[in-house]
Amino acid sequence: MKSLERVLATVGGQPKDRPAFVMNLSLYGSKLAGIPPEVLYADASAYAQGQIAVREVFGPDLLLSPFLVPALGEAFGSVSATGRSQVPNIRQFATRGAREALALPLPDVDSHPRIVYLRETIRTLSARYQGEVPVVGVLVSPVDLPPLVMGVEAWLEALLSEPDTARALMERWAPFCADLANAMLGDGATLIAATANFANPTLVPPRVTQGIGRPALEATFGAIRGPIILHHGGARLEPHLDAYLGLPNVAAYFVDARDSLPQARRRLGEGPILIGNVHGPTLENETPESARSLAEAILAERAGDPRFIFGTSAADIPLATPPEVITALVDAVCAAGSVAP
Amino acid sequence: MARDWSGELVNCIRSADRVAANLLLNDWAETRTYEEAVAEVLTPALEHFGNLWASNVGETSLAQGYVAAKVAEDLLDRVLAAQAADGRTVEMEKGPVVVGNVEDDYHPLGRAMLVAFLRSAGWNVHDLGVDVPPAEFLDKVEEVGARVLGASAMMFSTARNVIHLREEIDRRGLRGRVQLAVGGAVFKLRPELVEQFGGDGTAPTALHAPALFERLWQRSLELDPVTR
Repeated sequence: MKSLERVLATVGGQPKDRPAFVMNLSLYGSKLAGIPPEVLYADASAYAQGQIAVREVFGPDLLLSPFLVPALGEAFGSVSATGRSQVPNIRQFATRGAREALALPLPDVDSHPRIVYLRETIRTLSARYQGEVPVVGVLVSPVDLPPLVMGVEAWLEALLSEPDTARALMERWAPFCADLANAMLGDGATLIAATANFANPTLVPPRVTQGIGRPALEATFGAIRGPIILHHGGARLEPHLDAYLGLPNVAAYFVDARDSLPQARRRLGEGPILIGNVHGPTLENETPESARSLAEAILAERAGDPRFIFGTSAADIPLATPPEVITALVDAVCAAGSVAP
Repeated sequence: MARDWSGELVNCIRSADRVAANLLLNDWAETRTYEEAVAEVLTPALEHFGNLWASNVGETSLAQGYVAAKVAEDLLDRVLAAQAADGRTVEMEKGPVVVGNVEDDYHPLGRAMLVAFLRSAGWNVHDLGVDVPPAEFLDKVEEVGARVLGASAMMFSTARNVIHLREEIDRRGLRGRVQLAVGGAVFKLRPELVEQFGGDGTAPTALHAPALFERLWQRSLELDPVTR
């Protein structure tokens, strides 16, 4: 089967030759293609080169646009720092708080250089792998955009102490997030992946999840014209899935490595796709043998789940991870064999 | 029945309601002092909440931890203001200690909470901010005579830079005397990294950092009692 067929079979709960898999190898493309991270995250063709190398070496069934949420902060005026061997981080925020953020102009999704960069990676990858490998457009939902523009503390302050301002900001930024997602779908992305940490009870109290987070997600996701992967974003998702159920267009849930896959499946029911859950950022500590054991245990537990995709959760797999460790995960998936409902 | 001030404060923190917490402490201060509130209301409330936070009983959230830190900070500000108004010298009784985010780490929230809890526990804290190179950490440690250095890192990729901090401590011949406390999400997720990266200790939450710093300070004194 081609990767696209495998993923579509997963969406439909149909039989397939093996489970599909996705890995956060956004940064790792730099290692495989011999491109420095600062070039990878500035030049769309360099990023695409990296992902082409990822596809050739490891063969994931889904390719990702840059897992580079700071670029969205940059589009609003924040400034990033590029580490020597890591994904850029915001080092200077565009504003000090939510009220100031309300006055910021919205970036143009067709012309802002950082957004053009993100979109161009999707255009290049989807053109190359059309009909063969789905491409995922990686975004944040509007609840996770303010930390990239004003910092986590200022956003928490607004959510807790200035709910009307926070709500107004969500109403202003939700259409931007939806427009960008739709533009990415137009560029050839098959799915959109978005985080929603600041609608998660692990981070914020119920008055925020219910009064600000959920309405913002409903407005944004309802306006996106394609399927969405709700990504855990570093927080546990499984105990709180009830808070997210029923959101429009969410087709898949990408859970945290600490989450229980069987519990998540029980909470979700049979319909949605479940993705997880090896912790990517600590794979460099594994040996090929231990990585394979981790994967085999997950695959054995999920055997027979027609809507399961094996994935590495959280941030990027580090550059220091030996390729043999990643290959061991891939081998385990390939050895898992066919999946029948 | 006597009013359960600390219990009420715990409830404010669990509701992530900083305004209600400050109103409560103002109520207290109508008949007593803010200084007394530290020992009689804040400390037992934080101890109780800290236990919940560490064990995650009742599903504590980041917002609750943040509000706990802010309440501690707000009360400390009022204590210091009251002392200054009385013409008393404002001095932290413990430390000095130095804290910061390791090089390449730009996630300040955890460190800000750490600083609030340390200061409310009486520590004299030198906060160097984000993205602090090892040499800058150690220059400050030597300048102020700190025995504990607190390094914060959120991501695995940046937590590795604790290794360079360890190397710098050792290169300057300060192993033992300068104890390295490490903290951040990645160390909670993978506690074995504390030792692997060269840390001397960690705490389950920022609220538990003052107790960790006490232990590390004592260890430093045992290993190198000489005052410099």
